[in-house]
Amino acid sequence: MFRRRRSSDDFAEEIKSHFELEADELQSEGLSEEEARRRARVEFGNAQTAQERFYLSSRIVWFDNLLHDIKFAIRQLIKNPSFTFVAIVILALGIAANSTIFSWINSTLLDPIPGIEHTSDMITIMRGERSEHPTPPFSYLDFADLRDSTRSFTGLLAYHDDYMTITGSDKPERLYGALVSSNYFEVLGVRPILGRSLESTAPNERLGVAEAVLGYGLWQKRFGADPSIIGKTIQINLHPYEIVGVAPEGFQGCKSGLRSELWIPVGMDSQVWGEGRRIKDRGTFWLNVLGKLKPGVDHRQAENELNILMRHLVEQFPDAHQGPNMISSDPLWRSPFGVNVYLSGTLPILFALALVLLLLACANVANLLLVRSVARRRELAIRLSMGASRWRLVLQLMVENGMIAMAGGGLALLLTTWTAHGMPAFLPTTNLPLTMNGSVDRTVLLATIMISLLTAAVSGVLPALRASSLSPMSALKDEALSTSGGIHKSRLAGGLVVGQIALSLLLLVCAGLFVRSLQNEQNSNPGFDPNHVFLAYVDLRPTGYSRAQGIAFDRQMLTRVKSLPGVQSVTLGDFSPLSFTIHSNIFQPEGYVPGKNESMEVDRGEVGPEYLQTVRTALLEGRDFTDSDDDGARPVSIVNKALADRYWPGQDAIGKRLHIAGRWRTVVGVAANGKYRRLVYDPAPLVLIPILQSYQTFQVLYVRVAGDPLSYGSSVERTIHGLNSDLPLFSETTLAANMRIGNAFERIAAAFAGSFGLLALILAAIGVYGVVAYATKQRTHEIGIRMALGAGKRDIFRQVLGRGLHFAGLGLVLGLMISFALTRYLRGMLYGVGTADWLTFVMVAILLCVATLIACFVPARRAASTDPMQALRTE
Amino acid sequence: MPSQDNPDDRIALLQGTLDLLILKTLVLGPCHGQGIARSIQRQSEEVFFVDHGSLYLALQRLEDKKWISAKWGVSENNRKARFYSLTAKGRQQLVEKTSEWQRLTRAMGLILDGRPSSEEV
Repeated sequence: MFRRRRSSDDFAEEIKSHFELEADELQSEGLSEEEARRRARVEFGNAQTAQERFYLSSRIVWFDNLLHDIKFAIRQLIKNPSFTFVAIVILALGIAANSTIFSWINSTLLDPIPGIEHTSDMITIMRGERSEHPTPPFSYLDFADLRDSTRSFTGLLAYHDDYMTITGSDKPERLYGALVSSNYFEVLGVRPILGRSLESTAPNERLGVAEAVLGYGLWQKRFGADPSIIGKTIQINLHPYEIVGVAPEGFQGCKSGLRSELWIPVGMDSQVWGEGRRIKDRGTFWLNVLGKLKPGVDHRQAENELNILMRHLVEQFPDAHQGPNMISSDPLWRSPFGVNVYLSGTLPILFALALVLLLLACANVANLLLVRSVARRRELAIRLSMGASRWRLVLQLMVENGMIAMAGGGLALLLTTWTAHGMPAFLPTTNLPLTMNGSVDRTVLLATIMISLLTAAVSGVLPALRASSLSPMSALKDEALSTSGGIHKSRLAGGLVVGQIALSLLLLVCAGLFVRSLQNEQNSNPGFDPNHVFLAYVDLRPTGYSRAQGIAFDRQMLTRVKSLPGVQSVTLGDFSPLSFTIHSNIFQPEGYVPGKNESMEVDRGEVGPEYLQTVRTALLEGRDFTDSDDDGARPVSIVNKALADRYWPGQDAIGKRLHIAGRWRTVVGVAANGKYRRLVYDPAPLVLIPILQSYQTFQVLYVRVAGDPLSYGSSVERTIHGLNSDLPLFSETTLAANMRIGNAFERIAAAFAGSFGLLALILAAIGVYGVVAYATKQRTHEIGIRMALGAGKRDIFRQVLGRGLHFAGLGLVLGLMISFALTRYLRGMLYGVGTADWLTFVMVAILLCVATLIACFVPARRAASTDPMQALRTE
Repeated sequence: MPSQDNPDDRIALLQGTLDLLILKTLVLGPCHGQGIARSIQRQSEEVFFVDHGSLYLALQRLEDKKWISAKWGVSENNRKARFYSLTAKGRQQLVEKTSEWQRLTRAMGLILDGRPSSEEV
């Protein structure tokens, strides 16, 4: 495209040959040689013009011009390094904010199933009440019936993911894996790189076939990428499986943000988690379902069809479907299963804020360009008077600006390669297999280039049009004329400054709201005391203990750890609060008749003796669990106040019975409300049952201590290994640190909004300073005259400051209007603070006023100290 | 370049005609620019005066479109010359353009004389 096939020289050669041929022919017609030559030339017309036209007709001309413009732009930018540097840095920050957020969006929302390119025709399917933390909504039998009768999908798959442990070797390894339907890999379109998928297990799906597909990472790490792994045996939770395949690199299952490393047939449930009942029971909901739509079927149609099918199932098996059974679907980017449900709310808002920041950066650079273009009036005027068209000048200025923006974009990209990987910084060390992170790939690269070009256009077009609009005559005349030009220009510059203040007000208001919301959240009472509690995660599964042995081990562990010096109390749980680990169950309170389609799902925790005492949740009535609440005693439970109030209003909950986890249990205590899922949720009903009555192999050990909890790590570990030296203890942490995962998304939002707000404040201050300082400098002459006529330093000072405040006032009014109009979109993300929170608005307005004043102070001082004689002489 | 007059505009009026004439001339065999110019003038009984500048630009344009191809060679009287020849694509274009032209002249004839023009002008 840039190189033509034929050179101009070649063309000239051809014309020369034409003359010779023509002359030859004329000569043969009887003309003299000289006359023939002359006639040939005359007849041809202007050969020079033809050559010029040949040159111009080629596309290379614009390219030549562009090259020339670029070279010229680079020279100009190098000549003015401080301008260039400031402009590049400002744009780089603005662009980096966008490319960072985009890199996160790109690798989470836009890539919901890593390892699979096309997910636009896949939807996740939800049954029942929608929430941000749904439990898996389908029973195996319902899933199988839906899969076999639906016509909207090319395939419907099911999975259940949870921890498993690889056993049978010296080093048991706990990892996250999934039980999957036999069509899992086929529906997703994932082809194992070694061996085969699980499709051949289809005929025995319900019974289960002991086969496993390994994740790529697991195969690499644990099996040293053994190419002959297929056919070998792996032991999972003490049961042997034949390895039949290895998944391709990057594939990590289909729950967003969580990495599975192992896939085994759904029918193996009884071997993995020992719950043989689940696969046969229509009323046990434990599978997530995901479908690939047939071409031409949209998700609404599919939803409708599934609802019809589901209604049949409900009619056929009413007992198994007592809660709400409405089916709804979601595209994967906002699937309610996995982390995208949180990110899909946060990241788009942050992206919008980043765009506002970029707009602000553009306004700043536009102002710098305006100031610069005044300094370049002479140069531009000369070029205009030499015959350059206005368009040509605009293009030249745009090229210069494009160079700045591309340099800014390049710097931003460098920054992004670092910030893109920053997401885990917001996540505490957790044993959740989280994989949320960004990276710079081709899409991010392209997006950054696009953003940079857009930036160049937005920031450059007004100054370029303005700069090129001068008439060459006036510009070449005396500099004194620049005063009138200055007024003209300062209106645009002033408008830009007002816009900057307004935009930074918007960003600061958002930052303020997010930060206040986070503060409210962190100051809110979780219903327990997270300080001074050491947590250790223990999994008894690999020990092979029987239930009785396990319970005996638990008792011993509790007693021994409790006797350690400094330990105040110890308990166990099958969850830790605010870390996405609590389970929920369908339950039935005595004497309560659920409404039609009322969801009877409640949060359920299994906890050890002295749980309430250890986490310091107030006991309102009755008693805490003790170590005699075991298999030998009657089944008991503790409920929280929210549950008692909802299901037994005005009654004494103590002594009431409720059915949960397969048994009727008597309520022996009522605890104060607490938060178990996220701090921003209202306290939900909760049932606690004694872990000694429903043995769990996965346990969290809670140790309340005096002093720094982490300093107890080694002594707790020693104590446990004293009981069983093979038992792996993973993830030693503190309750306070562990619950930080629960508000990671709010912290991400507050951190970004906060830093955007801070940047916005700085940019606005720079903008105000630039314009006021420049305007003041231009008016040195006028100030000199005023002072000579008797104006005092104070008058001048006040006048310049007043000018700055004028901008600030207009900007604040505009900004407040924009903010009031826009902050309502943040409603769903704020906790304990309204979108029109007057305190935030007032604080931000004051902050901006102060920043504007400071920015005006320096030029005002300078103006006030003008020596009138000096000022009048300078021009 | 928008800052300059587009040179293509100036020859656009002649473009279709000249292109067609060039293609027609080349049916007889490869020829150089000067030969083509002469041939057009001669065949049109000197009615057409071929602007040589436009001719060479037209040749270049046709070459860019791959309707004709060019090669440096030696003329009968031993001069170095750039010889043009028709490509398969060019041959096909010639057929299309010719029938297009005939339809146009027929229509023009109908309007101007009230009868189909039998001659191509």
